[in-house]
Amino acid sequence: MEHAYGPIFSNLAKACEKQFRTREAELLWKLSGYFDGAVPSVGEVLSSGRADRAGPSLDARKPAGFQGLAAALAADETEHFDSIKTEATAAKDRGALRMTVWGSKVNAIQQSVVERYAKQGDALLQDKSVFVCEACGFIFIGQEAPEICPVCKAPRSRFSKIS
Amino acid sequence: MHAARNLRLCTKDCICLFVCPTKATDTENGQVDFSKCLDGCRLCVDACPSHAIYLVNANYAEPAPKARRVSEKAFALLDRKAGEEAMVKQMLVKAAVPGKDAVNTANAGAALVLKALEKSLRIVAEDAAREAAYMLPQSSSTQMLIETLLQDRPKCGEGQFPEQELRELKGLLSRT
Repeated sequence: MEHAYGPIFSNLAKACEKQFRTREAELLWKLSGYFDGAVPSVGEVLSSGRADRAGPSLDARKPAGFQGLAAALAADETEHFDSIKTEATAAKDRGALRMTVWGSKVNAIQQSVVERYAKQGDALLQDKSVFVCEACGFIFIGQEAPEICPVCKAPRSRFSKIS
Repeated sequence: MHAARNLRLCTKDCICLFVCPTKATDTENGQVDFSKCLDGCRLCVDACPSHAIYLVNANYAEPAPKARRVSEKAFALLDRKAGEEAMVKQMLVKAAVPGKDAVNTANAGAALVLKALEKSLRIVAEDAAREAAYMLPQSSSTQMLIETLLQDRPKCGEGQFPEQELRELKGLLSRT
């Protein structure tokens, strides 16, 4: 496995849905499902410490718990987003730069949610729902999703309520 | 290039029904009938008072190539986020009652947080995939990926290698 093909194909499936190419989308969702079955082996690759896969090792076969997950996320800012920012700036690639702006904010939120849940448990969710922005991945815990996503400015209709 | 209606914006003022020369805009499911729509006509797009109709391209220009170093770093992020998503999936399995789809009520909160993280990590991974190389399904990079997979046939989990799906997709996404 060269890369994690699951997200590549689910992304292309969504792109085909937006173009109303339903058959293509259906095929791409199937491919995404097939390759998602291999993600633990990607975790293995990550834990083998190859130089281009920086950050603390992940072994998806061993459940890491909330602390392990928070530590992995904490490392991503310096190990991944910073280096993409450097390369994107040098290449004047504003698309990749935009991805790091959203991605590192969402990464911080992911880390914060994991840490707060580890500390507070279900009290964090008391009388609240959990929402995720389908455009950027921003996680919101509250009664109603924000009118506009604070990370990517997508409208409330782009939020999904997790159940 | 055909018209499509954004149903969240449509205010049902029906001007598109008045201007359409082929009745493609008047359908029982609310969406434009793409097979009746005239290529690039755009009468409905310009007439719509709510800006709810737009044109969907049949062909796209090849995206500008990505700088190799940007692409490499974006791929590394993609793999990293996919690994984290796999971690979360493992934790979700533990939060669920074995053999049942329903989540153990004792762990319902944990499952909710983990499902949100799973979705969020996937969305960030998909964004990395776009910026690494795979923005457009009809691009040559997608075609090359399909070719490579058909050649290498990587084995994943228990499922059968999706050769038919890849072959059909290759045909459907090729530029005409």
